[in-house]
Amino acid sequence: MLELRGVRHRYDGRLVLDLDQFIVPRGALLAVVGHNGAGKSTLLRLLALLETPTEGQVLFSGALVPKRARAALRRRVTLVEQRPILFRGTVRQNLEYGLELRGTARTAMNGIIGDLVERLGLASLLNRRRHELSDGEVQRVAVGRALALRPDVLLLDEPLSSADRAAATALYQTLAAERAARPFAICVASHQLEEAYRWADSIRALAEGRLSPVTPENLFRVALPAGEGVKHAHIGGGAIDVAVMTDRVGPAVLAVAPSDIFVSLQPLTTSARNVFSGRITGMSIERRGAGVHVRADMGGVELVAAVTAEAARDLALAPGKTVFFSFKATAVQVF
Amino acid sequence: MLVAGDSEVYGIALLTLKVAVVATIISCAVGLPLGYFLATRRFWGRRAALTVVNTALAFPTVVVGLLLYGLLSRRGPLGSLGWLYTWQAIVVGDVLLALPIAAALSAAAIQGVDARIRRTAQTLGAGGLRTAWTVSREARFALAAVITAAFGQVVAEVGAAMIVGGNIRGSTRTLTTAVALYTSQGDFGLALALGLILLIMALFVNVALQVLQGRGHA
Repeated sequence: MLELRGVRHRYDGRLVLDLDQFIVPRGALLAVVGHNGAGKSTLLRLLALLETPTEGQVLFSGALVPKRARAALRRRVTLVEQRPILFRGTVRQNLEYGLELRGTARTAMNGIIGDLVERLGLASLLNRRRHELSDGEVQRVAVGRALALRPDVLLLDEPLSSADRAAATALYQTLAAERAARPFAICVASHQLEEAYRWADSIRALAEGRLSPVTPENLFRVALPAGEGVKHAHIGGGAIDVAVMTDRVGPAVLAVAPSDIFVSLQPLTTSARNVFSGRITGMSIERRGAGVHVRADMGGVELVAAVTAEAARDLALAPGKTVFFSFKATAVQVF
Repeated sequence: MLVAGDSEVYGIALLTLKVAVVATIISCAVGLPLGYFLATRRFWGRRAALTVVNTALAFPTVVVGLLLYGLLSRRGPLGSLGWLYTWQAIVVGDVLLALPIAAALSAAAIQGVDARIRRTAQTLGAGGLRTAWTVSREARFALAAVITAAFGQVVAEVGAAMIVGGNIRGSTRTLTTAVALYTSQGDFGLALALGLILLIMALFVNVALQVLQGRGHA
């Protein structure tokens, strides 16, 4: 549906996005995860055709997007920003904005908006203005304003940053209901991996503007000390030290694939240079494959390990239990 | 004299108003879109263009008058228009002076609008004109101030009006040039009366714009 090919995007000469290929397939439920500043918002703005990549191509339905066609294609892709903003006027006028542009008849418009208002619980807000709304309400109105347009691709930038848990659940239920009625693609940028895992069909990890080949758990921004071979990098503000094999020096992103972490109840005598102990804070069934993700607090830093359902049962893993996570220095990838 | 409704004074006031309104409309019609363009588009030489416009803000009015005089004088490039010493010449001079104000201040006003407004309008499907309208609506107070400033420049301008208008009685004598003339002739009473009319005019325009702004809230 939407594709970026060979895209290098720069702001004032600084490379912020470097993607050989990024595809949002038709009807996909895609999550892009990564730290703040990883390039997620920039990626969404490129996909929304709001910015033109410094280098590279943007394709829509397999065809290059010519500059003149961007405005027309924008009507099929809609972005909801991380901190959305409403226009001057009432909530109703905001919801009608895009429909009016498309010349939607008044009766049809009332139907679409009436329907959305009910599903998003906006009825009491319709005549309010932006300064009379909370952040969460603005968010809901902004999502409604985008959904009213029935886009082929809906791009959501950190939709949960200003929402509480109940609001988040409501949002995803609304999106699910909308997709059940009419298939369309959703691409969400998030730094909350748990949420992404819970509902997305497919996850892409971004780190420093590049797609990261590992699952997005256990990504840490560090400053690597000088020297060669095995080094110790402080993560979580020095809470724990991770041994890593690299010649890189200076700022970098470390990644440890959850499947590379051994989980045990006793400290293991192995070649693994990294052994940490802590309590399990959460467990979740991984949708792709039968694995279980075990997250544990290792002295202030959360690490995630993937084990099979069988192993989780054998070790009687449960939240609150103390476990040991072990992984080799060579299992730590450096980006 | 004011109360008696001296026809010459009214003629001067009307001409001043006509020149100011026409010049304000032209300079804003060109200057506001130019300001929007400078504020929102990224193109090569944009910074230089902004510098030029900002520098033009401080252009001395007599210099503009002088240059325009050269252009409009009979042997000048635009001499065939026959505009020298006509009210059209004063309008051209005023437009040249008010245009940088309209462009530079509206660029600043538009730059002050949250960047998300423009992106949001675009992502919801607005084309170039509708996006510009949406963004401008958010900056309407600042843009109204821009129009006021342009009008203020035009209505108070004396240097260029004197040089290219010629301060001809009954033809190109505006309030400001008349004030200058009567002051130099020692007729302080008349000069003061004309100055008062000028003030009232400026006050009226400001009040009118405020009333317009007052309609509708954020």
